[in-house]
Amino acid sequence: MAYALVALGFVLALNAAGAVNFAHGDLVVLGGAVAAFVGLSTGLPAVLLLPLVAVAIGVVGIVAARIAILPLAARPPEATFVATIALAAIIEQSLTIAMAGAPRTAPALLGGGSLYVAGFVLGRQPLAIVVLGAVLVAAVWFLLERTQTGRRMRAVAADRYMARAVGIPVGRYVVLSLALSGALAGIAGFLLGHQFLVTPTQGAGHMLKAYIAVALGGWGSVPGALLGALGIGVFETFVAAGFGDVWASAALYIAVLAVLALRPQGLFGEPVGRRA
Amino acid sequence: MSALLEIGEVSVEAGEIVALLGGNGAGKTTLLETVLGFHSGRVVLFGSDASTLTVEQRVQSGVGYVPEGRRVFAGLTVRENLEASSSLPTGQRRQRVDEMLALFPMLGERPNARAWLLSGGQQQMLALARALMDRPRLLLLDEPTLGLAPVVVADLLRRLGAMTGDGTAILLAEQRAALALGVAGRGVVLSRGRVVRRGSAAELAADPALADLMAGA
Amino acid sequence: MRLAPFWLVILMLPPLVALAVLPPFGQRMVILAGIYGLIGLGYQLVFGQLGALNLAQGALFGLGAYAAALTAPVIGQFALPVAILAAAIPAALVAGPLLRLQSHYFALATLALASLVNLLAVHAENLTGGANGLAGFATALPRGPVLLAIVWTCLIAGVLVYAWLFEGMLGKKAQLLREAPLLAATLGIDGASWRFVAFVAGGALAGLAGACSAALSGVVSPEATGFSIMVLCLTLVVLGGARHPMGAVIGAALAVGLPELLRDLQGAWLLAYAVATLAVVLWAPEGLAGLLDRLRGARRAPPVAPGLPESVLPVPGAQHLTIDGVSKRFGGVQALANVSLLVDRGEIVGLIGPNGSGKTTLLNVINGLDRADEGAITLDDRRIEHLPAHAVARAGIGRSFQALVLAGDTKAADLARAVATGAAFLLLDEPAAGIGDAERRALEAFLAKLRESGRGVLIVDHDIELLSRTCDRLVCLDRGRVIASGSPAEVRADPRVRASFLGLDGTAA
Repeated sequence: MAYALVALGFVLALNAAGAVNFAHGDLVVLGGAVAAFVGLSTGLPAVLLLPLVAVAIGVVGIVAARIAILPLAARPPEATFVATIALAAIIEQSLTIAMAGAPRTAPALLGGGSLYVAGFVLGRQPLAIVVLGAVLVAAVWFLLERTQTGRRMRAVAADRYMARAVGIPVGRYVVLSLALSGALAGIAGFLLGHQFLVTPTQGAGHMLKAYIAVALGGWGSVPGALLGALGIGVFETFVAAGFGDVWASAALYIAVLAVLALRPQGLFGEPVGRRA
Repeated sequence: MSALLEIGEVSVEAGEIVALLGGNGAGKTTLLETVLGFHSGRVVLFGSDASTLTVEQRVQSGVGYVPEGRRVFAGLTVRENLEASSSLPTGQRRQRVDEMLALFPMLGERPNARAWLLSGGQQQMLALARALMDRPRLLLLDEPTLGLAPVVVADLLRRLGAMTGDGTAILLAEQRAALALGVAGRGVVLSRGRVVRRGSAAELAADPALADLMAGA
Repeated sequence: MRLAPFWLVILMLPPLVALAVLPPFGQRMVILAGIYGLIGLGYQLVFGQLGALNLAQGALFGLGAYAAALTAPVIGQFALPVAILAAAIPAALVAGPLLRLQSHYFALATLALASLVNLLAVHAENLTGGANGLAGFATALPRGPVLLAIVWTCLIAGVLVYAWLFEGMLGKKAQLLREAPLLAATLGIDGASWRFVAFVAGGALAGLAGACSAALSGVVSPEATGFSIMVLCLTLVVLGGARHPMGAVIGAALAVGLPELLRDLQGAWLLAYAVATLAVVLWAPEGLAGLLDRLRGARRAPPVAPGLPESVLPVPGAQHLTIDGVSKRFGGVQALANVSLLVDRGEIVGLIGPNGSGKTTLLNVINGLDRADEGAITLDDRRIEHLPAHAVARAGIGRSFQALVLAGDTKAADLARAVATGAAFLLLDEPAAGIGDAERRALEAFLAKLRESGRGVLIVDHDIELLSRTCDRLVCLDRGRVIASGSPAEVRADPRVRASFLGLDGTAA
């Protein structure tokens, strides 16, 4: 479920900025790190910590796009490619230095331990993640589908030129999308940061999963990204149950390669520019 | 009556339809985009200099645009296309959407269909309705009849003709000169970015050299 | 020799100084710089020249390293060439399906591949020694001064070959391929072959670098296949200059030098490196090598877009271009319906028609940029309608475009380029659009020269006066059909043509 949030944030940024942000995974890790640091040093309860992290990483997301993506919009794609990878490295290295080698844990959302529900033992944190994740996804869905703001964000993503030509202040909506993207990344990092230790090098892994989800689900499609993320989660759990975690990852990569080899235009066939 | 739009030698007064004619590459789209603000150039809108205003600001001041190729928001429904294109407060906006759906029956029949599913004619009507949402005083259309069946074309032109009753000014860019001149009062012919002929619709329609001008002479 | 003496000196200096003067520690650093230079140079081929968002270079490096470690105890020094193959062969195997992918998907696929290799390295413990890796093989491999000599000889040779290849015509072709692949195809450049060669050659260099790295450190661990080596490779190439022949070397020097300079700030050198890379992307895209060139005043003169050539040479080739019964649908629209026309050598045929009549579609179909649903296109008696664009170009059909895709290009340059391919037949798409009167007269004179030199020309344009003066025949299209054909005067007077331009519907389409 946390991966769904990551994928959601990734696709929102993709639609808003028109480019893949390779630093997105590191925003997730940053969220976890901020949660761990602030949580441990101030003892704020998780309920207050969560919005704080969301806002903080939302801001970072906007700044990152302003530095590494938007100014390069007119340049060929290699430029944003390199810039966001450099940005990812910057965040990762900064975290490495700041954390001085000791992985940290983010505070739990509902406290540790387990709940007994209908005869099943459920970990509180996993439960919290699923519930919170579902709530957030639903909230974002509501925003995009049922509000004027969301409608306008989608219009901007669909056709920026035309959005301007109907009077939509495009810049504002791009910033909003990026803020939301960052906030989702931060929250995902917070949630993951309790289950798994926060280590600076995780960013690449998170980014890869989001990238796969978006590519398989239909480039730029929000429901596709969510389906992709859930699909990845299910697939991995399935394979891991039978063959272990390592094979789960390997199987995923092999599956992605197979899909791309057989359908170079992706699963849902976005029209591909012609390769001579 | 002062002009609602002045750009270069082209002007449009309230309540009139001006045909902007010319072959491909003559500069019609560039002119319309300059009015909107996508290109720099001196433009007087509604009596004041609009040259420093952004595209969004000009549109919100009362300009509607129906671009070449329609460019509806593909993933949004008919209703969402209309809503997203309006800057009105919620209540008024919803009411206006209902008005548009009633005014354009082919849209009213399927308000929740995704825009990419619509036929060319339906998309054209959607693009027009979208531009009309906030009651623009100036309407710009770029080759709206391209690729449409004759019956749809007739309906479209009839609606344009009916709009001028409340003072809306229309600048209609077209390659199909005969169609545009059938509904316009005046016409201007562009060639290579410059105005090469102007006159009343009747004069232009009767001009034997018009075909040559449209072919790019 | 296409490398300036200034750079030649910088290139030769490190190995010479190292061998002559430096202690073993210093020599190790120079070897490391050479290794980074090798992997960077390989990366410059795919990423720098062809603009492909490749993330697999690190994995290929790792394959070379492991191959060397595994085979050295058995075959000693020959482990090095084996390592090259160990990287190049997998690269060749995946290159086919991989290079067909569009940029975002290509990046993802290379990322997935690299992750797979990394997983293999970590978990295939019997083969790779797992997380601890392999050790103890280095004694069978070249070391010390010998290794230094090997690494730098290869690097210097590589840089010189790169400079020789890409500072000339090949570099321009690579630029075309990178910035305007469709245009490149119409000039006869086979993009798929280029990408394949670049990817495999780049992989081979990565494999060599990996093997030498194994020889240097004596240990190979999964780190060698991880993301960090990939990021390092990318950043050093960008910092140095992705297309400059010395880009990899400069970037490598920094990658080795910075950690020493910033030794007190533990690990901060990577941060500084990444920040520097970002800065370079934003403000000095040509990289530090390019920047140095600019400061030296050795600025490469911006290529002046050539005007129309003075004279046009006659060329051999087919005599007749025949389009017979060509039809094409796009979704629900019939773009071309049973179009037939003929162009002979030494004649100029004009194609006119209102917007949407199918003129550009027809040109695209003849060129091979698009495929007809029905009909035949022949050059003399050779059918070409099924050939890909670059093959059609080589068969003798050139093309100029309606919209300019290259930065700094002009209509005249685009036309000159098409003519320079020596194609017997030329398809010109609106060469008179947007040009001034003087250029228009020059164009008319040039078209006459084309006719005199025996080229066959099919020209689409909206300037009916120009076409009337220059064309032998006009063909008018309306909604995908030929509605008139004949001398310019006849066609212009034809009432169906006049009606078409006024937008009068004769009958419903």
